[in-house]
Amino acid sequence: MAKSTTAHDEHSHSDYPKGWRRWVYSTSNKDIGVMYLVFSIIAGLVGAALSIGIRMELQHPGMQIFGDPQMFNVFTTGHALVMVFFVVMPATMGGFANYFAPVMIGAPETAFPRINNIAFWLLVPAFLLLLISMFVPGAAGSTGFGGGWTAYPPLSSAGPEGHPGPAMDLAILSLHIAGASSILGSINLITTIFNMRAPGMTLHKMPLFAWAVLVTAFLLLLSLPVLAGAITMLLTDRNFGTTFFKPDGGGDPILFQHLFWFFGHPEVYIMILPGFGMVSHIVSTFSKKPIFGYLGMAYAMVAIGVVGFIVWAHHMYTVGMSVNAQAYFVFATMVIAVPTGVKIFSWIATMWGGSISLRTPMLWAIGFIFLFTVGGVTGVVLSNAGIDRALHDTYYVVAHFHYVLSLGAVFSIFAGWYYWFPKMFGYMYNETIGKLHFWVTFIGVNLVFFPQHFLGMAGMPRRYADYPEAFAGWNYVSSIGSYISGFAVLIFLFGVFEAFAKKRQAADNPWGEGATTLEWTLPSPPPYHHFSTLPQIK
Amino acid sequence: MSVQQKNHRIVAAALGVFVLSMIGAAYAAVPLYDMFCRLTGFGGTPLVATAAPQRVLDRTIKVRFDGNVSAGLDWRFRPVQREIEVKVGETALAFFRAKNMSSKAQWGMATYNVTPDITGAYFNKMHCFCFDKQQLQAGEEVDMPVQFFIDPSIADEASLNGIDTITLSYTFFAAEPPVVAGTTSAPKL
Amino acid sequence: MLLGSRFACRLLAVFAATFSAAPAFASMGQPSPWQINFQDAATPIMEQIHSFNTFINIIIVAITLFVLVLLAICVIRFSEKRNPVPSKTTHNTLLEVAWSVVPVLILVVIAIPSFRLLYAQYDFPKADLTIKVTGLQWFWKIEYQTAEAPAADPSAAAATPAQAAAPQPDFEFDVRILPKEQVGDQPYLLAVDNVAVVPVGKVVRVQVTGGDVIHAFAVPSFGVKIDAVPGRLNETWFRADREGIYYGQCSELCGKDHAFMPIAFRVVSEPEYQAWLAQARQQFAMNPEPRTVADASVALGR
Repeated sequence: MAKSTTAHDEHSHSDYPKGWRRWVYSTSNKDIGVMYLVFSIIAGLVGAALSIGIRMELQHPGMQIFGDPQMFNVFTTGHALVMVFFVVMPATMGGFANYFAPVMIGAPETAFPRINNIAFWLLVPAFLLLLISMFVPGAAGSTGFGGGWTAYPPLSSAGPEGHPGPAMDLAILSLHIAGASSILGSINLITTIFNMRAPGMTLHKMPLFAWAVLVTAFLLLLSLPVLAGAITMLLTDRNFGTTFFKPDGGGDPILFQHLFWFFGHPEVYIMILPGFGMVSHIVSTFSKKPIFGYLGMAYAMVAIGVVGFIVWAHHMYTVGMSVNAQAYFVFATMVIAVPTGVKIFSWIATMWGGSISLRTPMLWAIGFIFLFTVGGVTGVVLSNAGIDRALHDTYYVVAHFHYVLSLGAVFSIFAGWYYWFPKMFGYMYNETIGKLHFWVTFIGVNLVFFPQHFLGMAGMPRRYADYPEAFAGWNYVSSIGSYISGFAVLIFLFGVFEAFAKKRQAADNPWGEGATTLEWTLPSPPPYHHFSTLPQIK
Repeated sequence: MSVQQKNHRIVAAALGVFVLSMIGAAYAAVPLYDMFCRLTGFGGTPLVATAAPQRVLDRTIKVRFDGNVSAGLDWRFRPVQREIEVKVGETALAFFRAKNMSSKAQWGMATYNVTPDITGAYFNKMHCFCFDKQQLQAGEEVDMPVQFFIDPSIADEASLNGIDTITLSYTFFAAEPPVVAGTTSAPKL
Repeated sequence: MLLGSRFACRLLAVFAATFSAAPAFASMGQPSPWQINFQDAATPIMEQIHSFNTFINIIIVAITLFVLVLLAICVIRFSEKRNPVPSKTTHNTLLEVAWSVVPVLILVVIAIPSFRLLYAQYDFPKADLTIKVTGLQWFWKIEYQTAEAPAADPSAAAATPAQAAAPQPDFEFDVRILPKEQVGDQPYLLAVDNVAVVPVGKVVRVQVTGGDVIHAFAVPSFGVKIDAVPGRLNETWFRADREGIYYGQCSELCGKDHAFMPIAFRVVSEPEYQAWLAQARQQFAMNPEPRTVADASVALGR
């Protein structure tokens, strides 16, 4: 590692790379964070386009826009993979975590700036591989991988019943690279948080967002290698004659499901925990009150992270598991509701007695709390194996996880975006456009996903390209909601454009007394080298 | 190298080891899961026993048989008897009839489980054609035996008192020939 | 606050009524337009799922409204206009203990009927009839295993294995989707060519396996759903107490025509069932060389 990577040495340079070099060769956590956010927005547009394709197909019964139902499967699979690995994770653990976790703990840089750069640039080929995979042969007579983001074998196998074409191999490779990127990013962030906190910044004084990033990074390190192992086994099963998941060689396809969900369940917390951290700061800032029950909030995240590793098989109640194993997973899953409840009520208690200003970030944060609650309680319903028997693989599940992820995680990302926009870019966004963006999104996504509870209850299975006439009504409502949400994305883009066009200079701390974390002590935008003298924490 | 950089490397190295060990754990899960199922009967995996139990109970349980052949193996494979009634603890023998419908010799390997899967921990096989790969010549038909008993300790589990039927199921998949070509096509007891 | 909670109670009552009174919408055995609840129950297990659902919905709607009301109070009462000076409270031990303990209690209250339901689903009663369902790309195969058992003497079987007649299962048939022009008054995408018939009030043991990839056997009105996994036999059961026709759909992504492989059951009286059985034995007399799985995709011809 070159000596220039230490903060001290970098300070000795009077200037920094300009033009394209500043970005491509970037070792600045802030610049890399911004690149992650831009990447996430671009990938988000792709993911949103895929979802609108899905809703156009499902707007009416009968095949609408896809000639081949397999193309629909490819769209749903692509939508999921893009949103999980290339939108939500890059935005939270790439963008906001890289930019603000070091700043919040008073670190001038991350521990491994060059690894940070590599981690970002790995994501680009990973995303391209996934996009390419949609256009190369997959299942017989079609292109792309359409086996769902869960990629269960034998549907993801190379046999004639699965996906013999190279699309699946490209998708696996894409996940490998994206996973490597996340692991490198996580090692960087954990090392930064452990070793580079400013003097006096003990773990128990650390801002909650840094806590969230720390817990999330550990979840990534624990779970992603398992996914990497599982999909590598899938890859060698497909191409090199191994039989990890093939019954003819003594393998078991159910084992893949166990391995996948050992990764997959923590993954959903990976997507939501940074949001928890951001929402905590936003609620506190705009209530002008310190966070209520700080330690409880921090350890609730730790608890969610730990328990998240012992509940995976609640995704597999119908696979043919013994009743006692199911009973255990019901119990363990329900336990997660307790720390989650602590967080919800602590946010409300933070607002209680405060002096609340309903600026755009706060609107998104309050929207997050409510929608996450809705998604949380349906999660409690689904945790019960007895009733999950009726709801498993129906649209109720789709509604549930979109309430916690699409509405939950994405609302927290927009909350963070508006909260830190003035800090990152030095310009104020337009409050009216921001609020309009919120309300149109709020109406749109609720129209999309709330009726899906009803569809699931009525028995509509998920991942269906076509459905019986009886499901037409709510599907139509859902599709209309999707178009409204799509329009909201345009408002968002216009808002960004407007802010950069109008160039309203943002103050160092545009939010006033409530904003107490270290990033608000810096200029907006912060200089290339922030904290040339390390802040002292009392 | 500054002290801080050294510390960074120590943390990063520790985390790297952690990541590698998790990848190792994922691979270790393959044999461990298999072993776990075989030892505990999890997922309806029958156990393997070498000796018959000491006691035979009066309670009888109906054992049903089910045979499947996967795509890619042109065999017929069905139980000779649909079901038999056995005393708990008694060793019983059942046969499956397999016929190679193709015009070439084929190897097959059978997977198996019992339902309800909670009974896996009590269903013991002493000899089974499913322990080895089987070869059938073109057009060859054989009866394949399985010798089993139900562990009398099933009576100690009150929640299983209602169990009156257990189904033993096999599915034959096409298999590669074994590395050591010593297995005969006739299934040995 | 008092007013708020009373309003919440009333809203809750309306909501609970909406959820539990939904059978007005529902029709037997298939979904109906704008339906918001489960399909009507035809089995005791599904009835239990219904009542557990009503119970848990009241709880989750109450929790959600409670959070909504609290948020609304915060936004209105503690707006910066009305409350310019924020309090500095950051701890309240009693409150923090309460919001940890109360959820635990609520979960215990949920867990009791939940576990009762779960164990009821796995309390296999003595079966009157066994059918085996195989999921294939992209249709179902149903095998009726109604044959009388041969002499139940294992030692006899051992002595003369070759002489024991191989009992062919009584009959099996494929279940495929009906094209739109053939459905008549049946719902398209649920209607099938061969409807499986079972007797009312009898316990049907359903054994499920997959022939190529993983499928999932599900009939909403029966409250059953279980994966059809290649190389593995799964088992569930139902006892339909109401006559009628009940539709189900594949519930595990299985490839291109995942949405196009429904399954249907007709629940009839015992005499009708016997009549159907006799007729079906003729119609579906076992092919001595049963179709292998390999030509499934060819047969679909889609």
